[in-house]
Amino acid sequence: MSGRRTLLRACLVLLCLLPAIASTGVEYFSPPPDLGEGYTYPESYQAEPRAGWLAWVDTFALVVALTLAALIALRWRRRRSMVWLSVASLAYFGFYRKGCVCPIGATQNVARALFDTTYVLPWVVLAFFAFPLLFALLFGRVFCSGVCPFGALQDLALLKPVRVPRWLDEGLSLLRYFYLGLAVFLAAMGAGYFICRYDPFVSFFRMSGRFHIWVWSGAVVLLSFFVGRPYCRYLCPYGALLGMLSRFAVKGATITPDRCVACGLCGDACPFGAIREGEDAQR
Amino acid sequence: MSEKKQLTRSQFLAHCGRGVGLLMVGGVAGGLAARNARAGMVWQIDPNKCNQCGQCATHCVRDQSAVKCFHAFEMCGYCELCSGFLEPKFIAPDEGAENQLCPVGAIIRQREIDPYYSYEIDESRCTGCARCVKGCAQFGNGSLYLQVRHDLCLNCNECSIAAACPSNAFVRVPANRPYIPRLGANL
Repeated sequence: MSGRRTLLRACLVLLCLLPAIASTGVEYFSPPPDLGEGYTYPESYQAEPRAGWLAWVDTFALVVALTLAALIALRWRRRRSMVWLSVASLAYFGFYRKGCVCPIGATQNVARALFDTTYVLPWVVLAFFAFPLLFALLFGRVFCSGVCPFGALQDLALLKPVRVPRWLDEGLSLLRYFYLGLAVFLAAMGAGYFICRYDPFVSFFRMSGRFHIWVWSGAVVLLSFFVGRPYCRYLCPYGALLGMLSRFAVKGATITPDRCVACGLCGDACPFGAIREGEDAQR
Repeated sequence: MSEKKQLTRSQFLAHCGRGVGLLMVGGVAGGLAARNARAGMVWQIDPNKCNQCGQCATHCVRDQSAVKCFHAFEMCGYCELCSGFLEPKFIAPDEGAENQLCPVGAIIRQREIDPYYSYEIDESRCTGCARCVKGCAQFGNGSLYLQVRHDLCLNCNECSIAAACPSNAFVRVPANRPYIPRLGANL
């Protein structure tokens, strides 16, 4: 009974749709006129996107910067060179490339590509995601020290570092893992790129942005006047990934326990609270 | 065998961690590279999905939106009473600012062969507000349509217009075919 009714309904719907199906040709409200032989349509300018080979330049620049950062940090051991390298990275990856695509954001693209097989991941995004991780496995977080434009911006903003209490420092640094998890989850669900949407630094690179983003950017930069690299330490999701891998670095920056006289000067000098006296010095 | 015995526990763990890390990074990178080794992708508006909401003008991260109005002249009716050019309640069907739909006067109307008018877009003025596109879609041939201009677009990882677009008209297209032409029927 109900089957026959469904069939009847389907037939009715088909009957209504028939005119629409039949007229597959182009229909115009007012058909384009015949303007004669002599008439030529005006040319419309269609600008080309950024040339494809420039993506190779970006990747090359990334690898060169990572190699230089590793050399400066581990072989030459010069703080000043590292500052200049990070300024150059800030100029290229930040102000010239306007912060896109960066390894921090690329995490989400990779997460999305892993869960959504129809998503097309450009190779340059994959390269930006993988190279800093690979370097972290070899030499520690050299990406953070000399290549990341966000880190460079916060380093330049740092005026007078305040020592963050250890309990607060450790508590807040757990936020990074939460942020990473949230961003990966949202990207995997195809709900947009959370990290990019609330990126506090790209508004500086582009010198434009919406009001609430400017408020957030201003707050982060204001904080980084007094707290060394607040975004990196407490929020950066890619930093969390790099941190996990850099624990197993082949040749990372370490303090040699045999030679350390435990004067504590390095711990006082480090604006990021990364060097702790006492129990950690044994590692 | 004797070399292996000299490994301390922490060294052994470090080796293991390194191996696992390398496997993970290499596995993810290799797996995805094998599947998706393609050209670059850029943002574009699918004109068949666009519902002319007007958010392209306001949601671009740039102060001047990268979205501009394009004109498919082959589809244009060259009408005198153009619903993409004139206000619905115009005082006179002429170029007076009070009669124009475009808030910035970016559509340039010229008399072609009598009785036809041609309509060209001055892209330096266009804000991508889609008012003319809406007018043309409602009572015209739909020859006016929105596209992302790639010399203006920063190709953000997360396009903030795409995030705001109510009709999912923003799509990623291959960089070697960066524009979606407006051809075909419009009812």
